[in-house]
Amino acid sequence: MAVIFPSPEWLKSLEAKLNSDTHYAEIARKWEGDLAFEIQPSGPVAGPIYYYLDLWHGTCRKAEVLEDLTAVKPVFVLRAPYENMARILKGELDPMQAMMTRKLQVQGNMAYMMRNVPVVLDFVRCAREVTSEILV
Amino acid sequence: MQPILKIDLCTGKTHDYQIPSEWERAYLGGSSLAARILYEGLTADLDPFSPEAPLLFLNGPLSGTAGPTTGRFVVCGKSPATGLWAESNCGGFWGPELRFCGYDGLWVSGRADRPVYLWLDDGRLEIRDAAFIWGQDTYESQASIKSDLGVPQARVLTIGPAGENRVLLAGLFCDHGRTAGRTGLGAVAGAKNLKAIAVKGSHKPPLARPEAYLPLRSESNRIVKSDNIAQVTHALGTAGVADYADYIGSMPKKYYHQGVFETVDKVSGSTMAETILVGVSACHACVIACGRVVNLGDGIRRKGPEYETVVGFGPNLLNDNLEEIVRLNELCDRLGMDTISASNTLGLVFHLYEKGVIGSDEVGFPLAWGDTRAAGRLLEMMAKRQGLGEWMAQGSRRLAAHFNAEEEAVQVNGLEAAYHDPRGVTGMALVYATSPRGACHNKSDYFFVDWGQADQSLGLDFYERQAGAEKAANVARHQNWRAVCDSLVMCIFANLGPDMVVDLINAACGYDLTVDETLRCGERGWTIKRAINHRLGLTRANDRLPKALLEPLADGPSAGFVLDLASMLEAYYQARSWDPVTGRPTAGLLQSLGLEDVRRDLWG
Repeated sequence: MAVIFPSPEWLKSLEAKLNSDTHYAEIARKWEGDLAFEIQPSGPVAGPIYYYLDLWHGTCRKAEVLEDLTAVKPVFVLRAPYENMARILKGELDPMQAMMTRKLQVQGNMAYMMRNVPVVLDFVRCAREVTSEILV
Repeated sequence: MQPILKIDLCTGKTHDYQIPSEWERAYLGGSSLAARILYEGLTADLDPFSPEAPLLFLNGPLSGTAGPTTGRFVVCGKSPATGLWAESNCGGFWGPELRFCGYDGLWVSGRADRPVYLWLDDGRLEIRDAAFIWGQDTYESQASIKSDLGVPQARVLTIGPAGENRVLLAGLFCDHGRTAGRTGLGAVAGAKNLKAIAVKGSHKPPLARPEAYLPLRSESNRIVKSDNIAQVTHALGTAGVADYADYIGSMPKKYYHQGVFETVDKVSGSTMAETILVGVSACHACVIACGRVVNLGDGIRRKGPEYETVVGFGPNLLNDNLEEIVRLNELCDRLGMDTISASNTLGLVFHLYEKGVIGSDEVGFPLAWGDTRAAGRLLEMMAKRQGLGEWMAQGSRRLAAHFNAEEEAVQVNGLEAAYHDPRGVTGMALVYATSPRGACHNKSDYFFVDWGQADQSLGLDFYERQAGAEKAANVARHQNWRAVCDSLVMCIFANLGPDMVVDLINAACGYDLTVDETLRCGERGWTIKRAINHRLGLTRANDRLPKALLEPLADGPSAGFVLDLASMLEAYYQARSWDPVTGRPTAGLLQSLGLEDVRRDLWG
C-alpha cells in the first residue's frame, strides 16, 4: 500500500519503522528526546502540519498528528516548508545540506543535537524508506 | 570609502591616501582592495622586516555599520613566514572604531627608532612612547595603553612578546582575545617597533543609501540569528562542530597521523557548554556571539577556545583535558602567537621526538603525547626564542628543515595547516594547496561545503565528501565567494544567501552589482593575490600538500583513503583558467578581469 507524505498513515508507518529497524535501534540506543515537525505550507500543502514523535532509546513511544505545538514542549522542533521536506524524503536534498543552507530550521538543545547527528541522519533514512509517494 | 591614513614611522609624517574609486567598485574593500593597493610594492626582494615593508590595516564597506557580522578588519602585507602575500582578518571592536575615526584604513611603513604606539583620536594621530609597555603581554598592553591615555573606551590592537621578538607565528590582538593570527604580521609590527595602535572615534561610517540599507540590515541580522549554524555557534562556540568533524573523519589527531582519539568528546564545544562555560562574547554588533567565556573554578573569567584551538591543543597533541586547552590558549594569546601555527608546530616537535629525529637534548626535557605542561614550556621557549624555541619561532617548515625532515612538517608554503583534514573533506586539499597564504581554512571554509553547506543559490553543487576532481570548479567558486566576504570584511559564520549580501553592498555603496558581478569582484581579488605570489617567486610546484596528508590513515572514518591531488589540481587550473604548466592566471583571464598591468608583469 502506498504511504503518502504527508498523512497520518505516513506517520504511523514511520512509527512502526522506528520500532522495527535494528540499525536505528542500535544507533539511537542512547537517544532521549521528543521531536516535533512543523511542515510549513507550500506547494500542495495549504496549511501547517504538525507531527510529534516521542523517541526514547532507539524506539518511538508515541507518534501523533497535532493541531499545533502549544500542548507539547519537544526537545527539538524541525521546521521547513513542505517542498523542502518533500525533497529531503525523496532523496533530492541531503538533510545536512538542508540544515546548513537555510532550508530546514532546527530549534532545541544544540549540544545534544551536535553529539547525535548520526542518530538524526539515520532517522531521516527510516523516514525515506517508509515514503512511497509524495503529495504533489 | 573614507581615506586611508598613511604613516611613516621613520619620519612621523602622515598623509591621507584616497582610494581610487574604480578600485573601490572592482575590489569592494578588505583584503582584495589591499592586494590591489599593495601590488606594486610587494616585490621579491622586499624584506618583510625592512622599514619599507607595508602593514595595511583595512576595513570593508560594511564594517562598523552593524551589518551582519561585519565588525571585522584585515591586516595585509608580505609574510615573513611564507615570503608570500599575507592577510589576516580579526573581529572585536577595533576595525569599526577605526572607521569611526574617519578612516577606512591605516597604512604603516618605516621603522620607529624606539618602541612606539599609535593613538588615533577621532582623526588626530599621535605617535607615543611605548618603552613602558615593551615586553608586556597582549592583555597587559591593552590595559596599560588605556590607562596611559586615560581613555578606557579606546580600542587597542597590540602585539605581545612574540611579535617584539619577531617570531614568525606572531599576530596582532585586540579585545578579549580577538586575533589577526595568521601569516606572522605581528612580527612585522615588532620589526617596526610598533607595539600597538589605539583608536577612538565618533563618526558614523558612510552609507550611500541608508533608507535601503537599514531595513536590509535588520532583515539580514534576523536571518543570521535564526540560522542553524548561528544557533550552534552561539550555544556551543565554533567548537560546537567538533563532534561532527570527528564523526565524519575531518578532525586531525596526533599531528595528522591518527584517525581515532577515544576521549575526543571530552574537549568538544558541547562539553565546554555543559561544564566550564559561564558566558559568551561578541564582536561589534554581531548577533551570533560565538566567543566563549569560561571559568576554571578560580573565579577568573577567561576566553574559551574556538574550534581550531580546541583541536590544536587537544586531539592534535592527544590531550583530552579541556581546562588545559583553555590555559594553553590564554598563554598563546598573551604571548601574542597564532594558536593554529603554534599548536601545529608543537605537534611537529612531539612528532619528531617520537620518531627520534630530536631528543631530550634538543628539547631540554622529555616529551610525551598529551603532556600539556611540556606544551606550555615549549610555547614560552617559542615566544622567547630560547633553546629549541629559536627554531620553533621560525615555524614548522624551517624547524623541520633544520633537522633535515622538511617533509614531516604539515604546512603549505610555510603556513601551518589548520585542523580540517583533507582526507576527510577533500575540498580542503585544493583549498590548502592553492590558498594565497598557505594551508589556510578561511580563504575557503570548504569543509562546511563538504559537510553540506553547498548553497545552491550561490551556484554550488553538493559532492560526496571524498569526491575528487569533479569538485574543483565548486571549490574555485566558493573561494571567489569567500574573497567577496574577505572584501567586506564579513565573518564566514553569517549564513546569508548571496542575493542578500549583494543587496547590502549595493545599498551601502550605491552600486547596482549582480551576484555574478560580485563573484567576479571576488575572482579579481583572488587572482591579483595569486599574481602577487607569482611575482614573489611562487610556481606551480608550490601548489602541493605535505606528505602526511597524502598518506592514508590507519583508522577512523577516513581510514585508507588516498587523495588524488594531481587530478584535482589539473581540473582546478582548468576551472580557474590558470596555465597548467606555470600555474599562472592566463593572459586572457587577466584581461577579462581588467588586470592589464598584471598581465604585462606576468606574461610580458
